[in-house]
Amino acid sequence: MADSAGILASTPRLGLLLRVRARAVYNRGVQAMADAPIRLATALFLVGLVWIGLYGLFDLVFKQLSRTPLEATVAIPMVFNFFFVAMLALLAFSNAIISHGALFGHDEASYLLTLPLAPLDVVSLKYLESLVLASWSVVLGGLPLMFAMAGMTDQPVFYVLFLAFFFAFIPIPASLGMLLAWAVARFFPRRLTRAATITAAILLILTIASALRALRIGDTAAEVWLRSFLNRMGFVQSALLPNNWVAAGIDHAVHGNFTEAVRYLGVTLANAFFLSWLAVTIVSKHFDAAYDRATSGRSGGRRLAAEASGGPAGLVFCYLARPLRLVAAKDLRTFLRDPAQWSQLTILFGLLVLYLTNMPTLRLEFSASGWFLVIPFLNLCAVSLILATFTCRFVFPLISLEGQKLWLIGVLPMRRGRILLAKFAFSMTVTLLVAVGSMSLAAYMLHLDVVWTTIHLVVTSGICFGLCGFSVGIGARLPVFGQSNVARIANGLGGTLNLLASVALVAIVLAGVGVATWRCRNVSPNTLPDARSLFLCAASVGTSITAGLWALRLGARHFDRIQV
Amino acid sequence: MIDSAAAPAISLVGVRKSYGRQVAVSGLTLEIPRGELFAFLGPNGAGKTTTIKLIVGLLQPDAGEVTVCGRHIGSNGLAAKAALAYVPDQPFLYEKLTGREFLYFVAEMYGLGRADRDQMLGSLIRRLDITEFLDQLTESYSHGMKQKVVLAAALLHRPTVLVIDEPMVGLDPRTVRSVKDLFTEHTRAGGTVFMSTHTLDIAEALAGRIGIIHRGELIAVGTLDELRRKARCERSLEEIFLELTEVGDG
Repeated sequence: MADSAGILASTPRLGLLLRVRARAVYNRGVQAMADAPIRLATALFLVGLVWIGLYGLFDLVFKQLSRTPLEATVAIPMVFNFFFVAMLALLAFSNAIISHGALFGHDEASYLLTLPLAPLDVVSLKYLESLVLASWSVVLGGLPLMFAMAGMTDQPVFYVLFLAFFFAFIPIPASLGMLLAWAVARFFPRRLTRAATITAAILLILTIASALRALRIGDTAAEVWLRSFLNRMGFVQSALLPNNWVAAGIDHAVHGNFTEAVRYLGVTLANAFFLSWLAVTIVSKHFDAAYDRATSGRSGGRRLAAEASGGPAGLVFCYLARPLRLVAAKDLRTFLRDPAQWSQLTILFGLLVLYLTNMPTLRLEFSASGWFLVIPFLNLCAVSLILATFTCRFVFPLISLEGQKLWLIGVLPMRRGRILLAKFAFSMTVTLLVAVGSMSLAAYMLHLDVVWTTIHLVVTSGICFGLCGFSVGIGARLPVFGQSNVARIANGLGGTLNLLASVALVAIVLAGVGVATWRCRNVSPNTLPDARSLFLCAASVGTSITAGLWALRLGARHFDRIQV
Repeated sequence: MIDSAAAPAISLVGVRKSYGRQVAVSGLTLEIPRGELFAFLGPNGAGKTTTIKLIVGLLQPDAGEVTVCGRHIGSNGLAAKAALAYVPDQPFLYEKLTGREFLYFVAEMYGLGRADRDQMLGSLIRRLDITEFLDQLTESYSHGMKQKVVLAAALLHRPTVLVIDEPMVGLDPRTVRSVKDLFTEHTRAGGTVFMSTHTLDIAEALAGRIGIIHRGELIAVGTLDELRRKARCERSLEEIFLELTEVGDG
């Protein structure tokens, strides 16, 4: 028996944990290459495309700036300052979310806690994991920026130096994020975590609103506005903030002052190491207590049981037959009780609403011919793409999630395929509400005339119909039963196909409306578009509705035949 | 602190744990000596899983002390955990590792040498009948297959204390028989098994002593005969359980 194994347990095991992680990543890669080589190749190709596109964009911006050396001297450090301060906030927030889930939410944390592992090993592993998971997209976006900047200097040493700055910076927000995650688990009872999350989301939106207000042009001259804006954002250039160390270091390097650049790199690195050590030490020292507090009381509060008719949620679907009404009401209740679903929809459309309410501050002459239809059309594009994202992420998995309850659906006294109608009604209700609401707000803020407001609202409704039909129909045709993870269902073959089909549908509909918009660019407001333009819009909506109905029919037929 | 070799395998003294206002375990005092198979019974929500989580160090008691082989699970957690193995009701496996890779990981975690590992693993693979799927990624396993691999992982390092939550769920009859034999051999070799279960006939057949927890309180503990005397009846464990938990309800 292992009574003497206590001494063994005190040896560090981080290396072993990292090796296991590396093996799992290797196995995942081998599996992806064997099972879905085309998907993997497409993903890598698209990542490469995004990377090259970003590099091209940043290169263009810096070349443009370098044509006017005086402006470049002021603007380039400013660009880096703002870029890294934004990264500081975003990375701290995303690291906090990932760390909280990894340390206090996942089954792996429970498992590791039962092994003879020092909390320091577990926390170090989770810190590194969060660092990689939260930062890879920033690395993807940030490296082209650094390479574009280095490319302007024609000296290879800059590539190394700028990369070093970038990687020295990333651990700083990661450490802050982990400390934040630990503090939430340690000091907020479980029931308050949701409240804390909502508060954080509201704070994020308020911060963006405040930033937009700072950008407001108003009636002042551009020069006065610029000075006022820089004054308001002066705190960003505080010598105590890490974004300033990186920006100053890069600026010194660009001007050939290597000693100063390396000094700033040293400052950034020293702080990154110190904060990482501090975060990992504090969290690991108090990890057991935080884990206990975070996981005690997961029983959740009692909720009032809904009436047999579906309760208030059932009222929303009063137009459906009773069995379908109950299913749709159940889905709505699940949606409202799952913060992952409604918070993402709220954040996406919350940001859109912020943008829409701030549109007049851009001082564009919306009433001028050529403009009054362009901006509303771009709004339509934004709303449609957000809708496609939402339906692919949350509507597509609805049928798959019923997989474990197929025994129940299979014995209900109705045709199984009719369940799709309930799913469709639920998704249409949610998406129509937010999409038509956003487009109405956009039309109001831009003083869009009644004719084009009506056209845009009808097109939005048509797109909602098509996207919901696709997600429900393809979701039923290519379900992933036995999987309860929404993200994995959405990322599977069916989910990928649905995403491509949805984007293609949006592109086709918007192309039709776009041509109509272009044809009417010189038409005065409150004038009916010509017959061809109207026909194009009607045909786009018709295409979307037909495609949605087709997908629903396809899915229902397949769902009827599935063996329970 | 008691000398760990002479200390009981598991000791809980006045342990209390609550989730907010809800008391899950109240004043629990229980001592389990080495070499015993202890069955822990109770209705749903009685506090069985909370007690297990307190023993393995996943939760910290609000009051009282928990020790494993004389080592305090809070202040001397590493040494205590080195002596125990835990199999939860929902087995955890790394999805992107094969069963064999997972078992190698556990062996290395507990410091087993290659020869020792291979010898122990060979025996467990044969007895739990896991050869066929051991080199597949664990994401493709059924519940029963996962349970077998997790049991193998738990027994691999010959723990002094084996803590198991619902060990037989999802296992086929042949494997149930093997697991019973493994538990019996484990206790004969001086090891301890703390088993929470709803399968009363297994508890009746295997357990040296049985504890019944109801609404967070240990309402009965002893051998089957002692429980019969307490319930004042010569009946099966099922009827004793129903009798005692009904009294608890009253």
